[in-house]
Amino acid sequence: MIEIRELTLRYGDKTVLDRFSIDLPDRGITALSGPSGCGKTTLLRVLAGLAVPERGTVSGIDPKRTAFLFQEDRLLPWRTVGQHIADVLPRERRGEVPSWLTFAELEGEEGAYPAALSGGMARRLALARCAALGGDLLLLDEPFAGVDEERAGRMLERLRGLDVPVILTSHQGAVLERCDAVFRLDGPPLHTQC
Amino acid sequence: MWADGLKKFIKAAIPPVFWLGVWQLAALLVGRELLLPGPLAVAKALAALAVTGNFWLSALMSLLRIFLGLAWGTAAGAALAFLTHFSAWASALLAPAVKVVRATPVVSFILLVYLWVTRAAIPAVIAGLMVLPVIWGSVTAGLAAVDPQLLEMAGAYRFSRLKTLRLIYLPSLRGHFTAGLLTAFGLAWKSGVAAEVICPPTLAIGSRLQAARLALETPELFAWTLVIIALSLALERILRLLLERGERL
Repeated sequence: MIEIRELTLRYGDKTVLDRFSIDLPDRGITALSGPSGCGKTTLLRVLAGLAVPERGTVSGIDPKRTAFLFQEDRLLPWRTVGQHIADVLPRERRGEVPSWLTFAELEGEEGAYPAALSGGMARRLALARCAALGGDLLLLDEPFAGVDEERAGRMLERLRGLDVPVILTSHQGAVLERCDAVFRLDGPPLHTQC
Repeated sequence: MWADGLKKFIKAAIPPVFWLGVWQLAALLVGRELLLPGPLAVAKALAALAVTGNFWLSALMSLLRIFLGLAWGTAAGAALAFLTHFSAWASALLAPAVKVVRATPVVSFILLVYLWVTRAAIPAVIAGLMVLPVIWGSVTAGLAAVDPQLLEMAGAYRFSRLKTLRLIYLPSLRGHFTAGLLTAFGLAWKSGVAAEVICPPTLAIGSRLQAARLALETPELFAWTLVIIALSLALERILRLLLERGERL
């Protein structure tokens, strides 16, 4: 179990997390849902160690052993699709690039640059890169934004097949339906609901 | 097709023909070769120079000195930019010094450097000193413009420092560096030749320019100036092509 206790975080005057506590499963696929700007992304960033709360604790995960999918694709315009995957793999695992391209349904696009990809393709590449990086926990911020429902469903099943716990945020009903647990959050600020 | 080619040729030929005409007319009006030689006299002087070994050796040595200056100035400017970008202390200490170098007139540097190094080394030192702040400025601006989201991604995806440099910093800097290098090249060329004129080494374009002035050989003075312009334009074109090819790789 990932135990989050009394997290408080502010950006300037804006309180994003207000003594927020929650227990999240450490297996399967867990979804966090809620209105835009309610603090889901900030919560994921705290779990990944990318944002430091003013107070509160997180136990049950090591932020250094998580892989985080940013809400933006953050692809490198000068690297090809194949290179994006290879860049996060250690030398001895470079042979896995084709299988990660299959994971993202990007076969045949290995030599393409991000500018030549559609929004959905770029998102799938970003997701495959994050999954290829791997770790003890995948933290995915809107992993299927711009990806059609059918394909998102297939990729979600492939994520399940990796046998790594996943916590994701999503607004897409079809994605939420396929998750093992869904937490509906409210905010801002994100606070513990009684 | 043939007519199009002819049109292009005429369009390209009109400006130089026009300016050569203006030059010739001005020379005729002045009427004294010592003050303003005509294009024909300059062409004759150039042809006479081009058959001598000294002409080519002087041009080669000037090129070598200026490229040496361009090389050390670029390396030092880029290294200083990284240092001042990543270290607040280095920035506090070195940034004002680089700005002083940028603001100092080239002539002051030439006369000062003359006190410290041999004549033959002055053009390379001066060219490098002129290049350094330009490259420092462009690389510093490039570093400040590197996308912070990509840097955060590199950190989150556990890229090593070397990998972050190779995959994010260097590609992001290309545009700034290219623009800076092209500007710096022009400066290196002009300041290097100026240094050769003021402190003439044995074999150098600037020395020949100075010698022609002292001997009141105005057509030769013009001929050397033409050589400087032609070399500058040709080398800038080559540099631009090399940089464009580098960007495609």
